[in-house]
Amino acid sequence: MSKHISQEKLALNNDVSEKVLAEQIAQLPNEMTPERDLWSGIERAINDKSQEIPTQKKSNVFVPSAWAASIAMVMLVSWFTFSPSINEKNKPGLVKVQKESPITQRQLVDFMQKNFQQQKKTLLVSYGQPTVDKLPPAMQKELKQLADARSSIRKALLTDENNADLLNLLDFTQQQELKLLQQLYRQYQVI
Amino acid sequence: MDSQINKTTKVIDGKALFSASNRHTADDSEQAWIARAKQGSQSAFYQLYEKHHRQIYALCWRMLADKDSAEDVCQEVFVVLWQKINNFRGESKFSTWLHSVATNVVLGHLRKHKNWIQRVFSIEDQGPNLAEPSVGLTDDSTLTILDQHIARLPERARLVFVLFAVEGYRHEEISNMLKMAVGSSKSQYHRARNLLKESLTASDFISIDEELNNE
Repeated sequence: MSKHISQEKLALNNDVSEKVLAEQIAQLPNEMTPERDLWSGIERAINDKSQEIPTQKKSNVFVPSAWAASIAMVMLVSWFTFSPSINEKNKPGLVKVQKESPITQRQLVDFMQKNFQQQKKTLLVSYGQPTVDKLPPAMQKELKQLADARSSIRKALLTDENNADLLNLLDFTQQQELKLLQQLYRQYQVI
Repeated sequence: MDSQINKTTKVIDGKALFSASNRHTADDSEQAWIARAKQGSQSAFYQLYEKHHRQIYALCWRMLADKDSAEDVCQEVFVVLWQKINNFRGESKFSTWLHSVATNVVLGHLRKHKNWIQRVFSIEDQGPNLAEPSVGLTDDSTLTILDQHIARLPERARLVFVLFAVEGYRHEEISNMLKMAVGSSKSQYHRARNLLKESLTASDFISIDEELNNE
């Protein structure tokens, strides 16, 4: 009996606290007064900062990253489309001039790849080994595009010797991928 | 402020007319201050600060649950406002726009001050901060009892509660701001309400008279 009464009382109490909570929320003050004077600090700061010119476009912190990824992709596509060395390679009977040892270039590509992986590992460790799937899908896509581009350039380099431009493109793509990773993990800090 | 004026309108007609005309004057003044601030007038910007900083400080305090951080972030909000005021095109009320600027600044501050484990794996909720003396109920008599209890909520629950119940954002908007699912926002809100009810009840918030009346 007493248990039954106490349960009723508890239920009633819950109802009351729901009501009280609603009243308290409605009565929360719109304003609070800071203890210290905030204006002097603001005044100092705004003296050093200029006002932004209004922009028509919606600002997006990822625009630079997206541009970098896009540029890398465009360069890659252009390369495969217009590169004389790749086109020449497919022509039968063409004599190659200045043929260098393929081992040297392969070693260089391997070295670049190892170096890149090391840098990427260090970067990820510094951010606590985050996983890519925590990033928004659009950003995951950007990263995948860069990784695909890097992989394609690497494969092309293994069959196309003595190609300094392609090596530079590989280096550029690797750096862009590292920069993008860094920016993304800095900006997309999940609450 | 608008709601206060509306309340006055219902009670005393004569005074309501006076209040309404005051409101128009205040709106006109604010528009003038905004226009001048856009042209670089610091004195006009100060008027905007004077009018709005207490509301913005309240928002910062409730979201951050820390006086010092709230003061710092409130300053940051007005510095950002100075830089971005030209982006205000008058499509919404200035106070609404300012609150959205402030909310973004506060959330940015919270992101900056989280460690990576929390950021990536969304670890946050250890339950309400009841055990930690540092975040116990404050003796600050200027705070309402509910504000004191809001400050003790786990961070996500607190943010969702403040944004939904106090600031009036929709769960869809909150889910975008906090990068969580709409359902998570709703469940955090209900969690916050339940935690608040529990802690208010535990702290004997309900008066003895009220209990007696109920019995």
